[in-house]
Amino acid sequence: MAGQVTSCGGPLTGVRVLEITKVWAGPYAGKMLAHLGAEVIKLESSTNLDEMRAYGGVDINSAPYFLSINQEINSVQVNMKTEEGLELVRQIVAKSDIVIDNIRPGAMERSHLGYEDLKKIKPDIIQCSIKMWGNGGPLGYQTGYAPCFAALSGLFNLVGHEGETPMGMNMRHGDSTAGALAALACLAALHHRERTGEGQFIDLSAVESLSSLVGDSLFAYSVTGQIPQADENFHPEMAPHGAYPCTGVDWISIAAPGAAEWQSLCEVLDGGNLAADPRFATLGSRIENHRALDDELGKLTRTHDAFELADRLRKAGVPAFKSMNSIDLCADEFLWGRQGFRMVSDHRNGARPVIGPSWRISPDGPDVQRGAPLLGEHNEYVYREILGLSQERFDELVARKVID
Amino acid sequence: MSALEGLLIVEIAERPAGEYTGKLLADFGAEVIKVEPPGGSPTRRMGPVKNGQGVLFNYLNLNKKSVVLDVAVSEDREKLERLLARANALIDDHDEVWGELHRLTSAEVAAAHPHLVHLIVTPFGQGAPAEWQRVEPINVINASGWAYHSPSETPNDKPPLKGPGRFLADYEAGIDSALALLASLHRQRKTGQGQFIDISEDEVLLNRIDCVLDRMLAGEVEPSMDRTAYDMGGPMTAFACKDGHVYLFMTTKAHWTGLCGLMGNPDWAEEFREDWLEFDCTPENVRKFRAGFRSWIAGQEKIPITEAAQKSGVAMVAVNTAADLPVNEQFIARGFFQEADHPAFGKVVYPTAPYKLSKTPVKIVRPAPALGADNAEAEAG
Repeated sequence: MAGQVTSCGGPLTGVRVLEITKVWAGPYAGKMLAHLGAEVIKLESSTNLDEMRAYGGVDINSAPYFLSINQEINSVQVNMKTEEGLELVRQIVAKSDIVIDNIRPGAMERSHLGYEDLKKIKPDIIQCSIKMWGNGGPLGYQTGYAPCFAALSGLFNLVGHEGETPMGMNMRHGDSTAGALAALACLAALHHRERTGEGQFIDLSAVESLSSLVGDSLFAYSVTGQIPQADENFHPEMAPHGAYPCTGVDWISIAAPGAAEWQSLCEVLDGGNLAADPRFATLGSRIENHRALDDELGKLTRTHDAFELADRLRKAGVPAFKSMNSIDLCADEFLWGRQGFRMVSDHRNGARPVIGPSWRISPDGPDVQRGAPLLGEHNEYVYREILGLSQERFDELVARKVID
Repeated sequence: MSALEGLLIVEIAERPAGEYTGKLLADFGAEVIKVEPPGGSPTRRMGPVKNGQGVLFNYLNLNKKSVVLDVAVSEDREKLERLLARANALIDDHDEVWGELHRLTSAEVAAAHPHLVHLIVTPFGQGAPAEWQRVEPINVINASGWAYHSPSETPNDKPPLKGPGRFLADYEAGIDSALALLASLHRQRKTGQGQFIDISEDEVLLNRIDCVLDRMLAGEVEPSMDRTAYDMGGPMTAFACKDGHVYLFMTTKAHWTGLCGLMGNPDWAEEFREDWLEFDCTPENVRKFRAGFRSWIAGQEKIPITEAAQKSGVAMVAVNTAADLPVNEQFIARGFFQEADHPAFGKVVYPTAPYKLSKTPVKIVRPAPALGADNAEAEAG
């Protein structure tokens, strides 16, 4: 195992992260740090698997959900239900910079892996714990899934069609954002440690993570006293601003921030007749009559192909883009061309497409190439190289299913 | 003490994407100097406005300083260069044409300041067609696929939605920008070297849906034109109750038996198999369940009923409004909202950060700056 590649290079090279995580938010935090070059070690156990290794398949080593998140992650097995297993975890903690978990409230403490415990093992450890409501507090016992975070956060209430029950973003939104914010907080703490030598505990609330995405609306309520509402696609300072029907089931998004964009939009769509309508003469009147404006525009866009119209509008200086469906996205040449989608290694098929990181960093940027790990793929690396166990000791721990 | 004490960040951004990146770092205690053109950042003029000040600007620029420089004028340009010479990082969010015009391309900045971490966040990243770089946040959220699939269960004849407020794409992108910047600054501490970071807002949003969209990319799930392609199915959705709305998440037998108990085991619920959520979750059953549940929940109040639900193992929660949050006991216990005096607004509460750092908590140090309030900073060095 000597010389095994355990990081994709990049600015966090040399930083070691231990993750005790499941499902999405926690693993996503690990992925963010791994895709910036950290060596991320995921603790796993065959008797207590990340559910993502089970969803959508029977082979725990090629489960679609797991493969789509855990690129550049290193997998080490340990049976955390045994005292010997927990002792191994503590030895790995002693060699780590950051520990991230998102398991049930109280579970880390019950395994003696709470911050006070970890600090005794490694005084400058940075520990980040992700929970729906954060750690402790009067409602800390409550649990839920991403749409629950959104509902509690204030974000959900701000998304919906006019006159209907608020419906939030798509129900898949939320876990990954919380994970990204956890990664961010870990790096802020890492800077503090570099400067002062001091580690710390980070307590992350998934609910508040989504509240932070509507921070300006929450602040506006405090300042103006007006409770913000779901507003469909309305923009108080821009009209038109919305999504308009095209041919088939397609939609196009169009925004006209000022007079120039409005004029160009009218010229592309109908040779300028709309521009002559007194209801739409100024930005102020367009905002005031935005419902009528949306109706008129919808009549004009309905006969157009969304891709072609968006292209013509953008070239005419009007902000526009097709509302992309999942076929459009998967086939998007621009995204493939700039490696927004990219190939990584895959144990079963040789290669697998994944969604690449949002960053390009140069020089010496990270290069995401390794697909998700087999269960225990990095056992030897972690136990033999990092912890320095003898081959005999390692074999014996495997035989007794402490490493399992 | 603050986590990022000692770091100096220059921000020449003029959109929420770049300004939010700077805000995240300023909240951690970095010294963030916002360089604004004469007349100020366009975000100063965005609403809502109270007592002559933009509320949005005051949120996005909390804890920062402001320096006014006309970088087209050589004297001011020299001041900018001196600022960059002593800064750790530069945050920008303009398109490439602007960068060329202002001699702030990645190559020019790297040549003049090899120690500097230089980040530019744009809708589609560097190299995108020039006209793509000038789109609005609603276009980015539509380009990313999130709008087409939001909310869950939207029928074909209803428009895709932009998300909450005006700037979801900007805020999500600000998180990745701040994250990549802190990673590169970590390297700067070790090597003294700078890097260039190119962030695509569209790709941030795509990355956030990794385990749903990637299974389509890999051919494990068919991509489609369906508005529901990202949905999970099942009865989960929001319902109107007596004083607002609740959200019910329910996928297991345990959830179902917990909910039946909570409702007092009504007759209509007896018609469902105990394990229907796992093995008999047909559209017809979902419709029947929602009809029965809807009439029951309509008479309940959101806080008491959701607390009772949680204690019965049911993942039902209140749909909170902005007014509910500052008085919510968990938000209060965590101190998410912090009160401060604002020179124009008076007493206000700021939403702060979702992470509590035990040694270096996020703090409100100063309100957003008046235009040019810190011009003296540009005279130093």
